[in-house]
Amino acid sequence: MELDDFRIGEEPYYRPIGDEVRLFMAAYAERMPIMLKGPTGCGKTRFVEYMAWKLERPLVTVACHEDMTASDLVGRYLLDAQGTVWHDGPLTIAVRHGAICYLDEIVEARQDTTVVIHPLTDDRRVLPLEKRGELVRAHPDFQLVISYNPGYQSVLKDLKESTKQRFGAMDFGYPPAAIEAEIVAHEAGIEPAVADKLVAIGQRSRNLKGHGLDEGASTRMLIQAGRLIAHGVSIEAACQIALVLPITDDADIRGALTAAITASI
Amino acid sequence: MARSLSEQQQTLIATFADQPEIAGTLELVWRQARASMPPGLLGDWVAGCRDIAARVGSNAAIAFLRNSPLVAAAAGPQAVAELAAQAPDLAEIAGGNAALALFLAAPHAARRLGTPQSFAEWLRVIRRIAETAPESVGLLLERSGRVLDSLDLRSFETWALGGIRAAENDPERRLRFFALLDTQALHAIEHGADSVAFTDVERELKAFIAALWHVTPPVRTLPAAGFDTPRRPCFSNGVIRVPQSSRGIDGQSGKDLFRAALAHVLAHFQFSASEKFPLGSLKPVQIALVSLIEDARVEQLAIGRFPGLRRFWLPFHLADASGVVTAPALMARLARALLDPTYFDTHAWVNKGRDLFFAERVRWSDPAISRSIGGLLGNDLGQMRVQFNPRTYVVEPAYRDDHQGLWDFPAAAGATAESLYESVRFEQSESEPADREREAAGAPANLARLTPEEAEVGVPVARYPEWDYLISRDRGEWTTVLEYNPADGRAEQIDDILERYPETAYRIAALVRAAKVSRPHRVRRQREGDRLDLEATISAAIDLRAGLTPSPNVYARLERRWRDLAVLVLIDASQSTNDIVKAAGRSVLELERDATSLLAHAMDGMGDPFAIHAFCSDTREDVHYYRLKDFDTLWGALAKRRLAGVTGRFSTRMGAALRHAGRDLAACQSYRKLLLLVSDGEPSDVDIADRRYLVEDARRAVLSLQHQGIDLFCVGLDAGGDSYLTRIFGRSNVIQLDRIERLPEKLPLLYFRLAG
Repeated sequence: MELDDFRIGEEPYYRPIGDEVRLFMAAYAERMPIMLKGPTGCGKTRFVEYMAWKLERPLVTVACHEDMTASDLVGRYLLDAQGTVWHDGPLTIAVRHGAICYLDEIVEARQDTTVVIHPLTDDRRVLPLEKRGELVRAHPDFQLVISYNPGYQSVLKDLKESTKQRFGAMDFGYPPAAIEAEIVAHEAGIEPAVADKLVAIGQRSRNLKGHGLDEGASTRMLIQAGRLIAHGVSIEAACQIALVLPITDDADIRGALTAAITASI
Repeated sequence: MARSLSEQQQTLIATFADQPEIAGTLELVWRQARASMPPGLLGDWVAGCRDIAARVGSNAAIAFLRNSPLVAAAAGPQAVAELAAQAPDLAEIAGGNAALALFLAAPHAARRLGTPQSFAEWLRVIRRIAETAPESVGLLLERSGRVLDSLDLRSFETWALGGIRAAENDPERRLRFFALLDTQALHAIEHGADSVAFTDVERELKAFIAALWHVTPPVRTLPAAGFDTPRRPCFSNGVIRVPQSSRGIDGQSGKDLFRAALAHVLAHFQFSASEKFPLGSLKPVQIALVSLIEDARVEQLAIGRFPGLRRFWLPFHLADASGVVTAPALMARLARALLDPTYFDTHAWVNKGRDLFFAERVRWSDPAISRSIGGLLGNDLGQMRVQFNPRTYVVEPAYRDDHQGLWDFPAAAGATAESLYESVRFEQSESEPADREREAAGAPANLARLTPEEAEVGVPVARYPEWDYLISRDRGEWTTVLEYNPADGRAEQIDDILERYPETAYRIAALVRAAKVSRPHRVRRQREGDRLDLEATISAAIDLRAGLTPSPNVYARLERRWRDLAVLVLIDASQSTNDIVKAAGRSVLELERDATSLLAHAMDGMGDPFAIHAFCSDTREDVHYYRLKDFDTLWGALAKRRLAGVTGRFSTRMGAALRHAGRDLAACQSYRKLLLLVSDGEPSDVDIADRRYLVEDARRAVLSLQHQGIDLFCVGLDAGGDSYLTRIFGRSNVIQLDRIERLPEKLPLLYFRLAG
């Protein structure tokens, strides 16, 4: 198989919150393009990995960035000693061989880049490789999943209407406190009581969204802090390293966060 | 020795021979002087006294006599010698009254400074000030005690010299400064050496509150009170007021005190009942105790939610089971007993209070228990015959609020103030408006403030044509634009807007920051790009043929890298903007002001050039035009005051205002120029009956400005139909808002257009 490297061998840990698994299965049955909305570190990527494992499909993940061009997705001619040679991009690979293609943080990519997915996301299911003069028909197993962070504050990078309307969307948020504590406890290997405290601290930082922070501490950050705690670091020190210092360089906000952490434990 | 002593005394008496009535004083002072000065210096003292009497006058000499023994007692006899030496010089520079004031101020300064060295230094500073600002030195000396109480000598000098510099050679302003009528002068004293100003820690502490409770209540500072009045935070109607600065207590910094205070008030906000306690027939001592129990109750509930809060409050509970048993002391001990689980008290009343309070542990969520326990303890305290003086009672510990926000005062609160321990605080709140007036008077705004009362005078600045769609041609020089001085409002109102929508303000700032509006530049020789850079490709091909390693940088792309955008925000200030927008429940003008403030805040943060103008019209001969902020002025207090002062009057002759604003914008040297009209949508004027006429004219104005390369955009704040605005600006150039929160959602449209 072409995409063996992209297959997920072991079951990734994923704690369902609602019936998102069933919904995704239904969407995949129809090969409906899916957009996952939600703040960073809330489990979007993990969910896609879990679904790819469950559906036994290879998963091609592309982390989008602001300098990404269409050719980064579909492929490009490269120069070699004899002249030029075509290289498939990750999207083309997924389309040809039937993988789930996951474009992470699609809003980061430039507007013109996102347009190349249009013909793939309606009933045509084709990918024109303009430069090569080729029309790639999508493998029956191919599905496109994108993630999108609506809280992300970039104007020029909001999705076009025409892009948005091609997708079904699933909204992800930080899980409810009890479930989040369960996730943190499992992933970090710490006592549930400690995980509860970490989640409470996370909640404090999320309150600061819009008051000096772009985003509050994600579940991922709380897990990182938890892992440090599992190594015998005190909660305060772990939160300082894994949460306060990475999340902001603003001395005032750091001070406020540190005080809020002290107040919470 | 005895002979020489009496000789000195003789000399002294001889000095004041013309004033026999002070003989008794002389006798007294002589004895004091002998007690506080070594005999060897007495001769100098008498000589100094004679010198002063001769060079300054006998009044000054008497003042010297009276005060110098006190100086000697506090700062040593050497200080008196310095004083005697400096005073005549000072009198020469600044007049005899200054010398008199110097003697009167000297004992306090000597006590505060303590050593002859620093006293001499103080004299040097006074002299230096006298040389630069002779008229002010008398005032300064009168106030010197108060200033020295707050500042050390070094800060005192900096403060005084700073005041002189700030007054820019204007003696009147210096006098105001040294009379402490200048808010800046007071502010500087308030922020004395070791204290922390609230404004310096405000941002962090507000974020702290937001993190804990997810609320952002407005926090204001209290006007400066008397120096000996302990200041406590207070709250009412959801607004928190804290002292301007705080010194911290017992190793805790001022910031810790502010943090503890805010955490405490927020505990009230979360857990105190929304209806306040009725005063009823409660005695002051009962009110104090009910409040104390209520404080403890909300703190316990808050600790239940955030256990670490105890660590912020405990350091301020310093009372312990020793010392005199007075009502305030017992209350402070009870306050500690209710919060500190490790504290043990020996007093039966304190222990009873503690037992009662913790027995009700399960009912802590009910504010009524504060009432019952507090009332009970108040009775007990009354029976113990412990004095409780409501006039001098100050809530302890220092972080707790003054309890005013907990009680439902009857309408005539001032009358009952006496029966509460409120006198201090009522004085404070009464002095507040006066203070604000003083502040306003001190600001340069006072001139502009007077203008609305006089008949408004506008300066005709331009005449513009108007388009008549019926005859399909311009009527030349048809409208006259007059520029008026904008009225002033309160700048705080604008800051309040930013506080009211912190998230929106933040998002808009981020939107503006992210938009790159400039000429696109071609970036060559890139590793990645959307097209091949022909030159680089050719050289790469040559390299290949030559057997060299080609550079991989063969691409080129277009990029907008910088921002080059001038924005003029034009506010419609016509009568119709006073209408209420149903969806928002606020007037159009308020929404206009909100939107403008948020945008201005964002643009100011980015350093983009922007101007804010407003207009209304009263017939074609009088189109009012207000320059609230120009491109070259700062987005500061003045601009904010002007924006806050905009009122809705007259009509909307949009075309003339657009042309006038466009003329300003056309003069800007920016790549993109944006004229942003904030309006409620319908051009009209009293001299025009045909509704279509002004719509067509405005459309014409828009088209002609677009020809000049100015982008026009309209934010319509009207829930109703948008037909007029879309007719004037074109469908894609209008965004309709009925709620200000939606502005960031809509704003991207605008930037898409500019960047596209």
